Amino acid sequence: MENLVNALVSGLISGSLYATMALGLTIIYGVSRVFNFGHGVIAVIGAYITWYLLSVFGVPFLPATLLSLAFMASFGWLVYRFTMSPLLKKPNWEFSTVLFMLGAGILLENVVLQVFGPRVKSIPVLVDGALKVGFIQINWHEVALMGIVLVVIAALSLFFKYTRTGQAMRAVAQSIPGAQVVGINIEQIFGLTFALAFTVTGFSGILLGTKYYLNPHVGWEWMVKGFVIVTFGGLGSTSGAVVAALVLGLVEAVATLYFGAIWVWPIWFVLFLIVLLLRPQGILGGRT
Amino acid sequence: MKHVNWKFALAVLVLVFILLYPWLGASSYTKHLFILFFIWSIVAANWNLMMGYAGINSLGNIGFMAIGGYTAGILAKSLGVPPFLTIPIAGIVTSAVVTLALGLPALRLSGIYIALLTLIFADTLPSLLTQTREITGGAMGLHEIPPFYPGMDKTGAYYICFVFFLVVLFIIYRIVHSPTGMAFVALRDSENFAYCLGVNKFRERLKVFALSSLLTGAAGGMYVHALGDISPTTLGIEPFLLTIAMIELGGVGTFLGPILGAAVIVFGNEFLRLAGTLRLTLLGALICTIILFYPGGVIQLFHTIEHRVERLLNRKTPTT
Repeated sequence: MENLVNALVSGLISGSLYATMALGLTIIYGVSRVFNFGHGVIAVIGAYITWYLLSVFGVPFLPATLLSLAFMASFGWLVYRFTMSPLLKKPNWEFSTVLFMLGAGILLENVVLQVFGPRVKSIPVLVDGALKVGFIQINWHEVALMGIVLVVIAALSLFFKYTRTGQAMRAVAQSIPGAQVVGINIEQIFGLTFALAFTVTGFSGILLGTKYYLNPHVGWEWMVKGFVIVTFGGLGSTSGAVVAALVLGLVEAVATLYFGAIWVWPIWFVLFLIVLLLRPQGILGGRT
Repeated sequence: MKHVNWKFALAVLVLVFILLYPWLGASSYTKHLFILFFIWSIVAANWNLMMGYAGINSLGNIGFMAIGGYTAGILAKSLGVPPFLTIPIAGIVTSAVVTLALGLPALRLSGIYIALLTLIFADTLPSLLTQTREITGGAMGLHEIPPFYPGMDKTGAYYICFVFFLVVLFIIYRIVHSPTGMAFVALRDSENFAYCLGVNKFRERLKVFALSSLLTGAAGGMYVHALGDISPTTLGIEPFLLTIAMIELGGVGTFLGPILGAAVIVFGNEFLRLAGTLRLTLLGALICTIILFYPGGVIQLFHTIEHRVERLLNRKTPTT
């Protein structure tokens, strides 16, 4: 019982980290219908830049994160402007963007490997110490992470609901011709969407880097988890992604407790298959 | 009609060269490269059949090959089944597993879901292999798998793989030019038009799924018998990327493209060994560059040159 409760708590924590991880994917897909197969390495780059600023230049955590996020935002815009934008104008863009981002992901992963080396890095935790409630034990750091994740999700949903840019993004997601009719600049919105998604993804990389380890290849594992999550929650649905991430985080924790970590992947795959067979639009997704 | 003959002659010339190559002072190493080329071009051609012709955005074909390879390897090594049986069995097992576990669910879905499902399928296989360590050898893989016949040398393997290569390419050629192949091209170019002609999309795509996984699985069987070992590294990112690069470089949706691509990549990869750890960086950059700037691949380059030459010849003939 104690083990189970502790496992559930840690599942909730990793689930909330996966949620931020998956948000970047689902934002890009929802607005532009591009499925980012280089997603993992984007998170890794965000985390590495923060790590570099922290440990080599001794910049404090907050400015280091902000600098790294500023870089990610401009990187996202550049990626859209110079690669995605021309590709989206060609026929068969759906799969050519997939292959392009795959190639770019591997390219960037190996650039990270060349620049930072293969050794495992980790970003220092935000706060030390542990919180004990009865037999449940949580690190303060993990409590802080969950708080940050909640703030990020709340901020994003407010952004989509109330700002003009956020509303424009939702309009484009619903219908591109419709958005054009009311005078929305599609190119600009797509560019901003990539910038936003890369920023969120880079931030999720930083958070994951403080809880888990960091190396140039870990992005693939994060990304494939992100894929299952966004499909589970419904492609393009942000609330679906959050719910799915929490569910899968819990499933992962319970599976690790009872069957061992090696079974996590097969179980994720089976869940993925079941969702695709029974409800391909995902648990909360409205459309396919 | 003139240029068709010219191309045909070139193809025959290349095939004759490949046929005679072991007598033209081939080293064991270059024969090994040719064997790799035969097998990988089959994998790439089948992948292209799914991706380029049928429009099934599969990313798991390396997984199909691994299933075939492991099936043949285990049958031959643990049960002593002779290779002329293991290879067809490998193909059939792969086709059955892949069609049931992936084809039926995936083909009901569209576009990106197939890519996701197949990628995650291929990603799950390594952890299954570690789980079944007693049979599959886990992370170490299978070693000393019996060759095609006892005492086989590289030349023997070379010719067996060459024959297999020709047979499979012939099958793919026939499919591409059969009503099924035409149905795919129709589906790819205009789905509604194809429906109006009475094309059953689900059935046609399921056929290609089954056939292409059958041939890819058999190629996996050829691979283990020709090279003697297989391990989970086959499922790693590098073979995956190399095969994608073959298809993209050669030209997606063309018959010859993936074969040309496989030739360039298999032999080029050996030069890239000099680049060491930079190799994957270069491969990634290559894929990005082709997709962004030259989506037709080498085949398109050939066509452009051919048109130029033809125009040049046509311009000259009336004047002289």
